[in-house]
Amino acid sequence: MLRYALVGITLCLSVNHSIAQEANDEGLKFFEQKIRPVLTQHCYSCHSKDAQTNKKLKAELFLDTAKGMLKGGETGPTFIKGQSAKSLIMKALKYDGLDMPPTGKLPANVIADFAKWIDMGAPDPRQGELAAKPKREINLAEGKQWWSFQPLKEIAPPTGAASNSIDRFIQQASAEKKLQLSKPATKEQLLRRAYYDLIGLPPTPEQIDAFAKDTSAGAFEKVVDELLASPRYGEKWARHWLDVARYAESGGYEFDGFRPSAYHYRDWVIRALNEDMPYNQFVKLQLAGDKLHPDDFQAASAAGFLVAGPYPGQITAKTVERIRYDQIDDMLMTVGGSMLGLTLGCVRCHEHKYDPLLHKDYYALAASLAKTVHGTRVLDPDPVATKTKLDKHQQDREPLVTALRKFANDELPKRFDAWQKAELPKQPEATRWQILEPVAVDAERSYLKWLPGGIVAHDGTINPGTMKQRGRGAKKATPANDEYQITFQTHQKNLSSFRLDCFTDKALPQRGPGVNADGGFQLTELKITAKPLDANSKEPMQELKLKAVFAAFEDKDQPLANAVDGKPATAWVVKTTAKKDNAAIFELDKPLAGFAGGTELQITLQFRELGIGRLRVAMCTEPNPTTWAGDFVPQNVYEIRGILAANNNKVPDPLRENLARWFAPFDEATNKFVQAVRSHDITTPRPPLKEVYTTIDGGQDVFYLRRGEVDNKGEKATPGYLQVLTRGELPKAAEQKDPRIALADWMTDLEQGAGPLLARVMANRLWQNHFGNGIVRTSNDFGFQGERPSHPELLEWLAKELTKNGWKLKPLHKQIMLSATYQQSHESNAENSKIDPENRNLWHYQPRRLDAELIRDALLAVGGNLDTKNMYGPSATNDNSQQRSIYLRVKRSELIPLMSTFDAPEPTQSIGERISTTVPTQALVMLNSPLVRQQAEKLAKRIAPSPETPMKDAIQAAYRIAFARVPSDNEQDEMQKFMESQRKIMGGANPANNDKAFIEFCHTLLCLNEFVYID
Amino acid sequence: MFEVPFENLGLPVRRRFLQEAGLGFGSMALASMMQDEAKAAPSPVDPLALKLPHFPAKVKSIIWLFMTGAPSQVDTWDYKPELQKRDGQALAGSDSKTGFFSTSGKCLKSPFAWKQHGQSGSWVPEIFPHLSQHVDKMCFLHSMYLKQNNHAPASIELMCGTNRPGLPSMGAWLNYGLGSMNQDLPSFVVLHDTRPRGDDQIWSAGFLPKSYQALALDARRKESIDNLFRDQKHTDAQQVAQLDLMRKLNQYHASSRPTQSDLSARINSYELAYRMQMAAPEALDINKETQTTQKLYGLDKPECATFARQCLVARRMVERGVRFVQIFAGKGVGGDGSVNDVPWDCHSDVDTNHRSCALHTDQPAAALLTDLAARGLLDSTLVIWGGEFGRTSDSQGAKGRDHNPNGFTIWLAGAGVKGGFHFGATDDFGYKAVQNKVHVNDLHATLLHLMGLDHTKLTYRFNGRDYRLTDVAGEVVKDILI
Repeated sequence: MLRYALVGITLCLSVNHSIAQEANDEGLKFFEQKIRPVLTQHCYSCHSKDAQTNKKLKAELFLDTAKGMLKGGETGPTFIKGQSAKSLIMKALKYDGLDMPPTGKLPANVIADFAKWIDMGAPDPRQGELAAKPKREINLAEGKQWWSFQPLKEIAPPTGAASNSIDRFIQQASAEKKLQLSKPATKEQLLRRAYYDLIGLPPTPEQIDAFAKDTSAGAFEKVVDELLASPRYGEKWARHWLDVARYAESGGYEFDGFRPSAYHYRDWVIRALNEDMPYNQFVKLQLAGDKLHPDDFQAASAAGFLVAGPYPGQITAKTVERIRYDQIDDMLMTVGGSMLGLTLGCVRCHEHKYDPLLHKDYYALAASLAKTVHGTRVLDPDPVATKTKLDKHQQDREPLVTALRKFANDELPKRFDAWQKAELPKQPEATRWQILEPVAVDAERSYLKWLPGGIVAHDGTINPGTMKQRGRGAKKATPANDEYQITFQTHQKNLSSFRLDCFTDKALPQRGPGVNADGGFQLTELKITAKPLDANSKEPMQELKLKAVFAAFEDKDQPLANAVDGKPATAWVVKTTAKKDNAAIFELDKPLAGFAGGTELQITLQFRELGIGRLRVAMCTEPNPTTWAGDFVPQNVYEIRGILAANNNKVPDPLRENLARWFAPFDEATNKFVQAVRSHDITTPRPPLKEVYTTIDGGQDVFYLRRGEVDNKGEKATPGYLQVLTRGELPKAAEQKDPRIALADWMTDLEQGAGPLLARVMANRLWQNHFGNGIVRTSNDFGFQGERPSHPELLEWLAKELTKNGWKLKPLHKQIMLSATYQQSHESNAENSKIDPENRNLWHYQPRRLDAELIRDALLAVGGNLDTKNMYGPSATNDNSQQRSIYLRVKRSELIPLMSTFDAPEPTQSIGERISTTVPTQALVMLNSPLVRQQAEKLAKRIAPSPETPMKDAIQAAYRIAFARVPSDNEQDEMQKFMESQRKIMGGANPANNDKAFIEFCHTLLCLNEFVYID
Repeated sequence: MFEVPFENLGLPVRRRFLQEAGLGFGSMALASMMQDEAKAAPSPVDPLALKLPHFPAKVKSIIWLFMTGAPSQVDTWDYKPELQKRDGQALAGSDSKTGFFSTSGKCLKSPFAWKQHGQSGSWVPEIFPHLSQHVDKMCFLHSMYLKQNNHAPASIELMCGTNRPGLPSMGAWLNYGLGSMNQDLPSFVVLHDTRPRGDDQIWSAGFLPKSYQALALDARRKESIDNLFRDQKHTDAQQVAQLDLMRKLNQYHASSRPTQSDLSARINSYELAYRMQMAAPEALDINKETQTTQKLYGLDKPECATFARQCLVARRMVERGVRFVQIFAGKGVGGDGSVNDVPWDCHSDVDTNHRSCALHTDQPAAALLTDLAARGLLDSTLVIWGGEFGRTSDSQGAKGRDHNPNGFTIWLAGAGVKGGFHFGATDDFGYKAVQNKVHVNDLHATLLHLMGLDHTKLTYRFNGRDYRLTDVAGEVVKDILI
C-alpha cells in the first residue's frame, strides 16, 4: 500500500516518469494476464455492451470498460481504487452477500488477484466510453398534463332534453355512436336494484307493495332517501371501502396474530358512511386521525387504516429493518391504490416505469409515514356519554350534600356539644403520627380508590396507556408515566413532617408495593402544596420545602433524596427492595404554621412508569420525628381540637360541615350523612375504556434505499409529497406540525395538492358500485397503465359535484340513481350489442352477480332471520352468526370459506375491483350447504301453503320474497309440476311429503341465478 | 328484448344431463386427456377451460412433497465428507446472519450413516431406506437458495416467487395458464395435516380470480370436502329433478340477458357440481386400491399411514388429470421438541427429528415413485421433494441446526428431467450454494417450462402492473432437462 501511495505522489509531482511508467506497465500486464480473461469468461455475458445488445444486461452494470467498472451499476461503484477491502466487487467474488459469478465461486487465487489489482489502483487499458443507458427521464411538467393529474375543471353538461345532467353526458356519447338507450326498468326491477345497491338487501313484500302503490312523481326519490338514511347503507358500502383498505383483523405471516380490537376500524367506516362524513374528512382521519385528535377513540379507530396490513409474527434483529420498510411500503401501496388510484409500490426500488412518479417522491411519502407504528390504545369510545353520566352523578350528589348541610346546621350542634363535654376530654392527647384522610384522589393513568384507614389503593385499571405489539401476540406497555394527586385537609398548626407508607398486597404484581411488573416503583418527585381552605382567604398557596429524612429501604444509588431534589430525571427507586412494606419520612425545612380557617394539602407523586399500589400519608406536629416509632391515630380528634382551639372552643358556622367529617366516627347519626356523600363519591362513573388497534408513537427515520434494498441506504429522506400532483409552492411537510397531518392536508387539497385526483378516484368508485364498472374500469389505477375514462367529461363533472357537495357521498348517490341512465332496463338489443358489446356506453343496465357478503345476507334475509339489530362489535368467528356478513371475522390465514368461494378478496393489498368467478364449488354451496338448506326451510315455514293460503299464493309469496316480483303463469305451472314430481319420488302426497316438496321448491328458488343477480 | 318462448326450452334436458353425469372417470385415460388438450381452444367464458400451452409440455402434473419445516440438506441429499471430518471444528465462512436464532459456528457432522446407491452412486443417509432405491430417477438441485429465513415468509417465497403475502402461488398460476384437464375435480389440490406455518397464504390464488384457488384437504378430517354431499334426506332423484328444473328456469332467465355470458357458465357449474359430487369421493376413495398397493405405500403402518394416504390420494388425483397436488408433510413421531406445523424444524436435535420425519415420509414417497412408474404416469408427472429452506452446517445448541436459506437441496423425479443427475453445489460444508445457484424464480421458470409455459409470458395485470410468478427474474435451468 505504502509503495503505491508513494507512486501516486510521485506521479502528481511529475518528477520521476520512469518509475511511474514502470508501475503502470506492470499493472497493465497484470490486468491482461490475470483480470481480463476472468472478466471475459465470467462477467461479460451479463455485464457488457454485448449483453445489453442481447438484452442480457443485469443490474445496469458494464464491466467491459474502465469507466463502466468505476461507475458501477445499481448497487454502486464496483471498486474503490486502492482499497480492495472496501470494494463491492470483492464482496461479490467472495460470495459475501452478492454472490458473483452465479455459476460458482471463483478459485481463491483468482479472487486474490482481483484484490491485488484493485490495490494496485486498478490499471485498465479499456478506454471505451460508457455505453449510453437508455434510461427514462421523468418529465414532471409533461406528467402534470396527464388527464387525471390536472386541476379539477368545471364542466358544463351538454345540452339536451334530459333534466338530469348525467343523462345528458351519457346520451350525447351514445348518440354519437348511434346507440339506442333501453326503456326504463319496471318498478319491481328498479326497487330491487336500488335496495341491493344501497343497502345490500332485498326489499320485503311490504316495501314492494308500498312502492307499487305510490304513483307520485317523487316515489323513487323517496325510496332512495329512505335507503340512504338506513343504517344498512353503511354496512353495505363499508365493504367496498374495506376492500380497498385491505382490512383484516390479523397480521398474516407466521402465527397470523389476531388483532382483537382491529374491528373498530370497520365500525368507524360504517359509522362514517352512515353519517355521510365528507370524504375529505374521511380520508384525513384515516391518514392522521391520531394526530388531529390525539385522544379521540373514533379518530384512533380511523387511523387503524394505516396499520391494517400484514405484519410478521416472528421478528429477529436480522429481519426487523426490512420488515419496517415493508410495513411502510404496505401503507404507501394502500394509500396509493385506495385514495389516489396510483401504483406507488412500483416506486420503491426505482422510478416508476410508466407514471411520472419519482423514486425520490416515494421516500418523501415514506418519510411522512415513518413515525407510524401499530399497537393498541385504551380510550373512551364515547366521551360525550361519559360527561353526561358524570354530570348526572354530580347532580345526584346535590341532595346528599344539602341533607348533610341541613343536618350540620340543625342537628349537629347539639349532638356535638354533648359529645364535646362528655367524650372529648377522654380522647388521647397528641400522638406522633396522624393518619391523613383523603378528601380527593386522582391519577393520570390509573384509578385510585379509598380504603378505610386512610389507605389509597390502585384499583388495577391502567389508563390510557399505549400498548405495542411485540412478536407473537405479546404486548408490552410503552412507558407512560403515572402521577397521583391526593388532597387532604387539616386545621392544625405547625406541621413538621410527613410520612409516606407503601404497603404490599396479594393483589399487586409480585406483592408490590409498586404496580409495575416487578412489584417496584420509581418515585421521581414528591411535592406538597398548602393553601387556605377558606375560599375568601387572600393568603397565597405555598409549595412546601421537603427534606428526605429516612426511608425504611433504599438503594444507595437511588436514594429517597432523589424524590425531593427537584430533578425529574432522578428517582427513589424501589426495585431490589420491592416485595416488602416500605416507608419514607420527609421533614419540612420550617414547620407549616397553617392557615386561618384551615389548610388544604395537596400531595403530588410523580412516578417513572406506574406508581404505588397501596399508600398512606401521615403527618406529625412534633419537631423532630426522625424515627419510625410512635403510634398511628386518625387525624380526626386533633382536627376537632384544632378547630376548637382556633375559635374559642366553639365551632363557627362555616366550619360545621368540616366538623361533621371529623366528628363522624364518634356519632352514628353524623356518620350516616357524611358517609352518604362519601359513598356517592366513591361510585363516580368511569369512562368505559376500550382497546383499539391503531397507530402509536414510535418509528424511526426513513432513508432512501437504492433498489429498495435495506442494506443499501442512501441519505435520510425528508417528508414530502408527490411532485406531479403538487401545484405551486407548498409549505415543506417537514416544517409542519406533523408530517402525517401535512400529508392529509396535501391529499385533500384541491388547489395545490392531490385533491382533484382524490375526488376523481372516489367519484369513479361510487359509479363503479352502482353500474358494475367504473368510468375508469381500473379503479385502483389512474396512471398511464390504467384504462382511460369512457366518459372523461362525466367523470370530471361527477368529481366536481362531489367537491361541491362538500365532499358528501350521499347526494352523489342520489344524483346517479335519479338518472334515466341508472333506471334503464337490463334488456339487450342486438344492434347495440354489435356496436358496444361491453356496454361501455351504458345503453342498458348491466346485470351482475351479488358479492359474497350480499349472497349470505340475502339468504338470511329471505329466511327471515337476518339480525340487523346488532350492529358493530367484535367479529363473528364463523358464518353461523346471523349478523350481516360485514361482521364476519377476517383472519388472514383462515378466511371464511363461504366468502372466498364467492370471490371475497385476499385482504393483503388494496383491491379496487372484485372478480366475479363461476365455479362448481359455488354451486355445491347452494345445493348442499347447511346454510342454504336451513334458509330454504325457514323460508318455507314463513309462507307455507295452508287452508287459508292456497299453493298459488304461497308460490307467489316466495317469488316476491326471493326475486321481488310475481311469478308468471308458466312459472307457477312449472313449480306445481316440480312439487308434484318431488312428492312422487318421495312416495306420494301426504302432509309430510307436501311440506318437504315445498321446501324443495324454496331451495330451488334460492339456487336460481335470478336470486344472486341484480338487474 | 329476446323473447324466447318458455316451452321451447323444455328440451329433453334431463336425459342429456344424466348421460353426461353417467360418463364417469375410469374411462378417461390420460391419452384422451392429452388429446383433449390439443383440441382445446381458449374460452373467454370458462376460466378453467383447457388452454393451449405456449409450447408442447413435457409434464402434465406435478406432485410436490413439501417437507414442512425445512429438512437439513447435509443430513438428507447433500453428502459432505469435509463436514463429517471436521465435526466440532470452526466452520469456515460461518456467518451469524444466516440462521434465524443463533448458531455455534462449529461444524456439526451428520449423525447418520451414508452409503452410495444406484447407478449414479448418489449418497443417501440411512434414514431413507426406501427412497434410496430411487436415486436414479432423481434430479438433485443442490444449489437452491432463497431470501427469507423463517418458515412462513420462505414458504410464501418458495410457492409465490416473492415473500409478500397476497401473490398467487404456483398452483394457481398453473391453473390460470393451462386450465383444467378434468373439470369434475379441482385442478389444484393441497393436502395437509396440521396446517403449515403461513397457512392459506402458501397456496393462495392471490389476486387471480378465485376460479384458480386450491382445494385444501385436511388429513385430520380425512380429506373431506365441504358441501360435497347433499342433505341425507334429499335423494339423488330429487336432486336431479331439481337440477332439471333449475336448468330450464335459468335458461329462460339467461335468454333475456344474452350479453351475460357468465349466466350460462353458472348454469353449467351446477352440472359440474353434480358430477363433482360423485367424482371427488371416487377420487379420494383409497379403498378402491388393492391390498398390495395399500401396503406398498405403508397404509398399514401407523408411523406413516397419514402421509401414505396423502400420497395415494395424490396419485389418484394425478391419474384423473389434476394438475398440481401439494402435500405438506405433517408430523410422524415426536420426541425431539419440534412443533407440529413445522415437523422438519430440527433446532434442538437433528438425529431424532430427521429419523422420525423420515420414518413418516420415506416409504410413502418411495411408493409413490414406484406406483407412478408402474402405471406409466411418471412419464407425464413430476414429483418434487423439498422444504422451504435448508439448515446450518454449524450447530444450534449441541445437536440441532438453525434455518439456512443460502443453500439447500430439492429433488425432482419423473417427466422431463434427467434421472440420477446432480446439479449445482454447495461449498465443502454444505453451508452455502456456490455453483450453478438456483433461486426459487429459476425453479419456477423451469417448472413452468416443463408444463409448456414461458414464465415471462404468463402474466396477469393487477393494480396497474403485469405480474409474473417469477417476478422480474428467473432463468430456465436447461441443464437438468432431458
